Amino acid sequence: MNSDGRSVRNLSKSDASIPHDFIAPGKKIHESQDVSAFLVSKAYTDIMTFLLQLNRSMFPSKLPDGTSQSWPIGTDAVQFSAPIRQLQVLLSKVEDLIQEVPPDNGPRRFGNISFRRWHEVLAERASDLLRECLPAELLDTPSADPAGPTAEAELKAYFLGSWGSGQRLDYGTGHELSFLAFLAAIWKLNGFPQSESGVEERAIVLGVIEPYLELIRALIKTYTLEPAGSHGVWGLDDSSFIPYIFGSAQLSPAINEADLIPEEGSLPGAPDPGGVAKANAVERERKTNMYFSAVGFIYDVKKGPFWEHSPMLYDISGIRAGWGKINKGMVKMYNAEVLSKFPVVQHFPFGSLFSWERDPNAVAAPTTVHATSGPQARPVVPDGGVSSTPARPTVDAGTKAPWATAGAGSRAPPMGPTAAPWAAARRDGPPASSSTLPDTSRMPPGPMAPTRAPWAASQAAPLPGDGGQVPTKAPWAK
Amino acid sequence: MSDLDRAIEQLRACRLIPESQVRELCYKARELLIEEGNVVSVDAPVTICGDIHGQFHDLMELFRVGGDVPDTNYLFMGDFVDRGFYSLESFLLLLCLKVRYPDRITLIRGNHESRQITTVYGFYDECIRKYGSANVWRYCCEVFDYLALGAIVLGASSELEPTGSSMNDTTQSTMPIDDGELETEVLNSHGEVTSTSYRPRFRPSSVASNDSRNISPPRDISAASGSTGTPTRTGVPGTGASADGNGSATTSRTGAVLCVHGGLSPLIDSVDKIRLIDRKQEVPHEGAMCDLLWSDPDEIEGWGLSPRGAGFLFGGDIVKQFNHLNGLSLVARAHQLVMEGYKEMFDGGIVTVWSAPNYCYRCGNVAAILELGEDTSNGGTIARSNGEYGRSNGVLGEGNTVVSPGRRYRVFEAAAQDTRGMPAKKPVADYFL
Repeated sequence: MNSDGRSVRNLSKSDASIPHDFIAPGKKIHESQDVSAFLVSKAYTDIMTFLLQLNRSMFPSKLPDGTSQSWPIGTDAVQFSAPIRQLQVLLSKVEDLIQEVPPDNGPRRFGNISFRRWHEVLAERASDLLRECLPAELLDTPSADPAGPTAEAELKAYFLGSWGSGQRLDYGTGHELSFLAFLAAIWKLNGFPQSESGVEERAIVLGVIEPYLELIRALIKTYTLEPAGSHGVWGLDDSSFIPYIFGSAQLSPAINEADLIPEEGSLPGAPDPGGVAKANAVERERKTNMYFSAVGFIYDVKKGPFWEHSPMLYDISGIRAGWGKINKGMVKMYNAEVLSKFPVVQHFPFGSLFSWERDPNAVAAPTTVHATSGPQARPVVPDGGVSSTPARPTVDAGTKAPWATAGAGSRAPPMGPTAAPWAAARRDGPPASSSTLPDTSRMPPGPMAPTRAPWAASQAAPLPGDGGQVPTKAPWAK
Repeated sequence: MSDLDRAIEQLRACRLIPESQVRELCYKARELLIEEGNVVSVDAPVTICGDIHGQFHDLMELFRVGGDVPDTNYLFMGDFVDRGFYSLESFLLLLCLKVRYPDRITLIRGNHESRQITTVYGFYDECIRKYGSANVWRYCCEVFDYLALGAIVLGASSELEPTGSSMNDTTQSTMPIDDGELETEVLNSHGEVTSTSYRPRFRPSSVASNDSRNISPPRDISAASGSTGTPTRTGVPGTGASADGNGSATTSRTGAVLCVHGGLSPLIDSVDKIRLIDRKQEVPHEGAMCDLLWSDPDEIEGWGLSPRGAGFLFGGDIVKQFNHLNGLSLVARAHQLVMEGYKEMFDGGIVTVWSAPNYCYRCGNVAAILELGEDTSNGGTIARSNGEYGRSNGVLGEGNTVVSPGRRYRVFEAAAQDTRGMPAKKPVADYFL
């Protein structure tokens, strides 16, 4: 156990006394190999830290009398601070734009062309909206360099990236990630009040993120937005991911300040995970739980047997080890399927708040002393064998079912108490070389086993006629 | 019963065949496909289908509505896999049918028949999930590399024989003129006509006596009256799906129909240029082969950048010019969801056919297939323009243009759900172990 004895790390906030230069965010991930660099960047560490911080806050709390306090949607037990309420105003103003730009009724393909106009209107008004709803001193936080941009340049980039693509008429987890970064940026800029650990985080999840997800669902329905690059039925969900993280946390066993996040078990009285396949259970739980709320939206928009259009969620619903187990899996999966996927993160812009710079702690040498002292980005894995340069994508032995190999050596033994979810992922041994294409979708990646964009493997195993050239394009929309 | 027939029976029941059999099937399919040109010649009558995307039960509905193989000739324009739950069952069945009835079914390549795309959009995951390894995915991808890039349909009739069974109150007939040719007809899945359009009978001075009605009535490819939904067809369907298109260019009112998954390419100004591509490879990220599988028509002039990041957008002027230069009357393509199942653009110069109803379980769209009838007006001799550059010049007098074929769209909805049982849960991905 670490000397601090705590399993929670919070996203650090900026110190106004230290000069800071803002940077207009720009694209850094141009090729699939760049994802490896992203996974050891400060931006990655910050995003994961913030996500885990929010996740932890959603676990029910143990009360002194032995009972527990859970955090359902709509609970009175979570108070919304002024900044939270301002963000709610922001969301409602964004929602109002739907009335201004009704969907086109003419002949159309699936995505409604009016969404392009909606996006244009949003872009035109973004500065005003942010100024109405965020404190001026936050937006106007200057760079140390007088010629540099203010904080607004960075905040606006993540805000605008949160609403799908007006060009492709789609929405996906990359846009969801952008909204998470928008909130994390406000956090870093001290835009949320100081309070007891978890208090403000819960308000962010229930008071801002859940309404954001509802707004996204309204956009998807109104403009029939397409899923942005999905695995079809084989993905978790067409558009969202984080409600499955926070929603499973809501139903996990209660913790107190010092407790580690439980890796299995459920809050007593929590609904059976199998309920996701039952329409009546979904209808009942979706009002209070984010996981069921997301599943409820699937029921709203999809016709057909649940097990057929959502086989991943269906299989997860058979997990017997409780919501804690599901939560842990969801975080790992988010790391692998969202943060490590080129098609998703390629559009993420990097500035000063989410920095492309390498996180010095990300690939600390094995078994160094500082592993157990002082703040660090994440636990050091002693036998990690991390190279000091981002690994080039290599090829895993990909010929087995993911679950067939999972028990045989790829899983970590229980880590020390501070183990972050990605630590287990990084325990995977160095990928073995093979002439086959890897299962890019299942291996929990991380810097050690970089996830490859689909074509990355073609470098290891040239495809017929591929000429070995390095492709630079995304596996495209649609 | 041969192993192949047994495999077909099993796949029709939505049950997978063993890996060893998939391997054998894929080997045979490649042997067959390698003999096909990049642009397969197909004789009318033929039924043209768009994206399937692993919607197996809807593919069965398609066969119910359009007629079974081998009684109906089919041309599938790609995107058999990805997104849906049953990409394997769907693709393997189509492949079995191709091997069993090579002249009755034509499969061309879609942008999803690609290693890169299938690892992103689900087919790879499905193979791993259902076979426990990537072997079957690899076999299938090897077949993808041999699929033709396009097809030319020859000998289609310009006029449809009216189906006869119509929904009287809802029929929207554009021009019920006495002497009009029935140009398009739309039927629902019960074989009932829901709309029709006519064009004035074409009487070029030189072939005025060739009024097809008076010489040889067009073959009946229509649905039987009543609403069994399974059309009755007479006569032996003309086929020739495996023959390469080097037929002579002779007189034809009805221009050839080019079928391709996506659309046109700025690098391709003639059908012959498609024939020059070395197609036996993974779909490249750019170039002619990529464009054919990725491009989309759009209401623009000339060429535009595609929001897909691959292929191009092309306007009506491009289509008009391409069709004119190649003696084509129509480009049939798939690739884009259209809510009505089919969509004609640019004065009927191009049509999108989409065959995956309620796409992704949520789009609420209907699907369609396009039937082209056989032209028997020349006493059974197939008159053809073979889509070769410039060949049409001597045929068509000044002021004349090729006439588009009669087009019968059969529209259908997603198959009923209630017949599908709930399976046992499978082991979860290792994130959850």
